[in-house]
Amino acid sequence: MERRRYPLYFSAPAAAIFLVFFIAPTLFGVYYSFTNWNIHADNIRFIGFDNYAALFQEPRLGKALSNTLIFAAAVTVLQNLIGLGLALVMNESIRMRNFFRTVFFMPYVIAPIVIGYVFRAIYHPEHGIVNVILNNVGLGATAQDWLNDPKWALFSIIVTDLWRVSGFTMVIYLAGLQFIPKDLLESASIDGASYRHRLRHIILPLIAASTTVNILLSLIGSMKVFEMVMVLTDGGPGYTTEVFYTYIRSTFSMGEMGYSTAINLVLFLLVTLVGLPVLAALKRREVEM
Amino acid sequence: MRPSRSKQLGLYVIVLLGALIILVPFYMILVNSFKGIRESALFGMGLPTEWLMSNYEKVFEQGNILRGFKNSFLLAGLTTVCVNLFASMAAFVIQRRNDRWMRSLYMTFILGLIVPVSIVPTIRLMDMLGIKGTYFSMIMYYTAVLLPFSVFLLVGFMKQIPRELDEAALMEGASFFQLYTRIILPLLVTVLVTVSIVVIVSVWNDFFGPFYLVTDSTKWTIVLQIFNFVSLYNTNWGVVFAFMVIVVAPVLIIYLLLQRYIIDGLTAGSVKG
Repeated sequence: MERRRYPLYFSAPAAAIFLVFFIAPTLFGVYYSFTNWNIHADNIRFIGFDNYAALFQEPRLGKALSNTLIFAAAVTVLQNLIGLGLALVMNESIRMRNFFRTVFFMPYVIAPIVIGYVFRAIYHPEHGIVNVILNNVGLGATAQDWLNDPKWALFSIIVTDLWRVSGFTMVIYLAGLQFIPKDLLESASIDGASYRHRLRHIILPLIAASTTVNILLSLIGSMKVFEMVMVLTDGGPGYTTEVFYTYIRSTFSMGEMGYSTAINLVLFLLVTLVGLPVLAALKRREVEM
Repeated sequence: MRPSRSKQLGLYVIVLLGALIILVPFYMILVNSFKGIRESALFGMGLPTEWLMSNYEKVFEQGNILRGFKNSFLLAGLTTVCVNLFASMAAFVIQRRNDRWMRSLYMTFILGLIVPVSIVPTIRLMDMLGIKGTYFSMIMYYTAVLLPFSVFLLVGFMKQIPRELDEAALMEGASFFQLYTRIILPLLVTVLVTVSIVVIVSVWNDFFGPFYLVTDSTKWTIVLQIFNFVSLYNTNWGVVFAFMVIVVAPVLIIYLLLQRYIIDGLTAGSVKG
């Protein structure tokens, strides 16, 4: 049948909404980042690269950039290690596997802002459960003011996000593991292949699709982190946990719209730069399958 | 090949410990929501010395909870309708035509999967269109943000629906519209359930969108309400915990009832089966 007969207008509503409410603001953003748009000015004026010149003078951008990258890298690596580890354990014959799967995935359906609030209580220097446990097992010396100590704040946010997303990663790995034929592993172990050997040469190559997806999702997701940081530290103490979206929010609330749009554009370039190669890898793999 | 008994026990302990780490914060929210102002501020794991319902009463008194629920339900519901309808229509022709135009449209949606939203210019856009702060603007915003994932998922699924079905239907005199509503849509139902779940959970839990786009407090969603509530009453943790229970409960109940579909839904499209 002729393909051209399928009516194009079926795609019109989706294309129009996406164009108007997603692409247009993105393009506007490029323009506004070159303007003085702010709450005090009567009219929006083109000011060339002034916003960017000011932005790159600010050490705060460097903090937001490095914190976002550290956060994304740490969360991506650890989330995948924990998720894969749990999936491998769960894939062995564990009793009540469904129950555990349900529990591990649970944080993922909870609003991140609520998770931020609970962990504020958990990290409380005096009464928070982390320090209470450390004190009780005689490790009182390692207790910290987790969210207010510049040395520990970013680490504590990373741990919170790991609590939230590791179960999701596990479920994707678990789905991948289920496609590995059991007899393949069995015959390998009869041939004397150690667990490490089987993991490297059979399991990991066969769940490569899950790995790519997990890495892409965690990288993209963690670079866009916002609510959790806002609720836990709001970028503080100082700018030690500042990430892009808390920086954007703070300049926005000061009425510097043009400036905050410039920051958004830097984030846009960063995410695209990191995301596109991974996306390309994903596409390549899909073709091979 | 089965691992030895002691090894299996070791693995079991790891899983059990992990589950405990996940469950403790949930338990903490619940148990502290029934404690008074002093006791709840200690964040203890013990049961309340006295079970109080007053925290919940306070939330209902001060929070305009029902309005927040209504707003969250309304936005989640209408966005679900829009995304399902428009994404399935688009996926239908994108996959069936598969020409240059449709492939570039598809690629544009895929890019939308990774690109971050330009939120401040979006406020400006809503202003220029004269719809700033309206339900309509929020529904359009969410639809735009959630279309890429849904189109991606649906196009993948459309490939499995044989073209012969189309040909047969058209041969018998069906229009393309009838082909879509009577043949294609019913076959897409399982994926549409998935799409709906993703949309509902995303909209219900979202803070970012309404924080920037909704100024009128009567249109605040439940998540925006808890944010403002905590900013005002953060000295009384018992009440804050009660509010958290109220925000989390609906999603958690739906999750526990439909966990299989939800896990499949939220991880769908990520692993090709």
